[in-house]
Amino acid sequence: MASEDVKRLKGEIKLIVDGKRLDGRAFDELRPIKIEAGVLKRADGSCYLEMGKNKVVAAVYGPREVHPRHLQDPIKAVVRYRYNMAPFSVEERKRPGPDRRSIEISKVSREALEAVIMKELFPRCGIDVFVEVLQADAGSRTACLNAASVALVDAGVPMRGMISSVAVAKVEGHLVLDPTKEEDFYGEADIPFAFFIRNDKIESIALLQMDGRVTKSELMEALQMAKKGALEIYRMQKEAIKSRYIIEEADENE
Amino acid sequence: MSEDIVLDIRKDYVLSKLREGERIDGRKFNEYRPIEIRTGLIEKAEGSALVKIGNTQVIVGIKMQPGEPFPDTPDKGVIITNAELVPLASPTFEPGPPDENSIELARVVDRGIRESEAIDLNKLCIEEGKKVWLVFIDIHAIDDDGNLMDASALAAISALLNTRVPAEKFGLGDDYPLPVRDLPVAVTSLIIEDKVIVDPCKDEENASKNFITITTDSNDNIVAIQKSGSYLLTEEKFYEVIDLSIEKAREIRKLLKEV
Amino acid sequence: MRSIVLPGELLATNPKVAGSGTYVENGKVYAKVLGLLDKTDTSVRVIPLRGRYIPSIGDIVIGIVREITANGWVVDINSPYQGFLPIQENPEMKPDKKPNEVLDIDDIIITKIINIDPKMKVTLTMKDKMCRAIRFGRVVAINPARVPRVIGKKGSMIKLLKSELGVQIIVGKNGLIWISGDRRKVNIAEEAIYIIEAEAHTEGLTDRITEFIKKRKGELNGQ
Repeated sequence: MASEDVKRLKGEIKLIVDGKRLDGRAFDELRPIKIEAGVLKRADGSCYLEMGKNKVVAAVYGPREVHPRHLQDPIKAVVRYRYNMAPFSVEERKRPGPDRRSIEISKVSREALEAVIMKELFPRCGIDVFVEVLQADAGSRTACLNAASVALVDAGVPMRGMISSVAVAKVEGHLVLDPTKEEDFYGEADIPFAFFIRNDKIESIALLQMDGRVTKSELMEALQMAKKGALEIYRMQKEAIKSRYIIEEADENE
Repeated sequence: MSEDIVLDIRKDYVLSKLREGERIDGRKFNEYRPIEIRTGLIEKAEGSALVKIGNTQVIVGIKMQPGEPFPDTPDKGVIITNAELVPLASPTFEPGPPDENSIELARVVDRGIRESEAIDLNKLCIEEGKKVWLVFIDIHAIDDDGNLMDASALAAISALLNTRVPAEKFGLGDDYPLPVRDLPVAVTSLIIEDKVIVDPCKDEENASKNFITITTDSNDNIVAIQKSGSYLLTEEKFYEVIDLSIEKAREIRKLLKEV
Repeated sequence: MRSIVLPGELLATNPKVAGSGTYVENGKVYAKVLGLLDKTDTSVRVIPLRGRYIPSIGDIVIGIVREITANGWVVDINSPYQGFLPIQENPEMKPDKKPNEVLDIDDIIITKIINIDPKMKVTLTMKDKMCRAIRFGRVVAINPARVPRVIGKKGSMIKLLKSELGVQIIVGKNGLIWISGDRRKVNIAEEAIYIIEAEAHTEGLTDRITEFIKKRKGELNGQ
């Protein structure tokens, strides 16, 4: 990899060639996505999700009792979100345990979900969302949030709608949807989004971060690109949840 | 906790069925749940495996990189085994550093691999005294429906069988498969009242915390034993468990040969 | 065939028809949980497919005693919320008896919810003919969201199980079910309940369960 870093600095590696990205995708095209709901036995709700090379699994426990008592909120549920990377999920083995990056990701992801979970229905309870990254490749936080949203629905937690998440990067002056590791690393900006979606419509922004430098009009364009991508993801999330039950019906008719 | 009430109710049921000579899921006392082994699912890792025993699921990833040898074994590679019982896998796992159960699990799995010499550490020397291969065996529990120990041990050896030494990345030649020369298999039994049942499911584990794990190698030698739980094991039961473990390990080893 | 809806799906534009499992915003009615849509001219509701049991006044539930205090018993009712059974609500309690002599830790009881305060403190009673301490029989646990299907329309499913198998069944709203009777019939009832749980959202279930029970009973007689 060291030699490739040097090549990049020398301007020898291009991330955009003939108007296409290195992996052949169009600028506004998502990586292949696979979503499966209800994959774990012990959890109340769960989801396995792949987004490009990202492989994540999310579990929801709750609403359940909060211990110790002093952490309870008397008028609503307390939501916890823990983003964790497995040691073998990245190129260079990662020491187990939360690092500063994981803690920040956990915070903003939790806040995105808190905005749509109906916490007031469960005073004094806790709703726990745990997501494990089994393999990471840029956008793991967006993959995790997508999986978490499905797991919450699978667990029967009341929500105002769903959360769908995708990032936009700026690479060699172009905005690209759902960046790969190389595009994220060598690009000029990385903008993860998550949206609150209801009835096939984007209602509002639930998560937003930016790292890099963009103009205002680039940011507006990135938002539109992300919205389109998020709606596509939302449809796949819905399909994954519903298909769990429709398949059972199909067996019946055989 | 609301989780407990269901387990508590089933605890009585587990015990009453055992007294009649049956297990709640219809298995014989010496029968394992269906075992599934899948390898290579984490392409970025040097090796990986997912093992399912019934509903229990464990993923093991193998990462390798050059590092310093231990001073007293300057020409031998190093194995580091760690287990994460992440809160995702069970309502009772809390986030935080490894507790005594994660540590015990990792060390027992490690013992099986080390003492069976499944990996020839002498072959992992790059430059004596300076550089050797470090092999990280990272156990990640995903779903705890009982007997994480055997699932972890099986996933570890399966992942090792799937591992390619990343020599190219570090300018040390071409990649090559990690040489694995033995197939250690751990067999865990639960002792409830005076009965011995193999491969306990979660409901059964909830009725008794008295375990014994015996790991054997391809020649039926015993390479690791761990008695876990505050109970007193009779000599008679001990012999019973040894024979049972050797027998079951042979059956499970057949699955590994197909990996 | 009822359709499956997800949180946030728009169900109606008349807030007056909003029923359980829905919420209203800006005059529109949306689903708030994953469930089956039940739409009539006068009401729109969503029957949840999953979810923890949340206590409701009047529910009969099965619980396990966790703690004994001077004033009563703390009972685990398979919910994020615990229940409390005050001494005066247990008809078996007499002035000369101590609480632990009447109900001890780990005892299983059938009890009824009489009050829930705004902080979700749940008060129980055993002064109802369905209520009792369970000393025999078997308790089975299922997903609480499937309980309505085990009971059936106007109790049809549970009547079927009771009459075909001659067993006693009390269904707790919290997903715990007590079955008592001939052991082999209890086994069949338990199996049937798990089938209902798995196929709750499908059609023709009552017929399939009737078939299943007849088949199992036939096997018993053939022995």
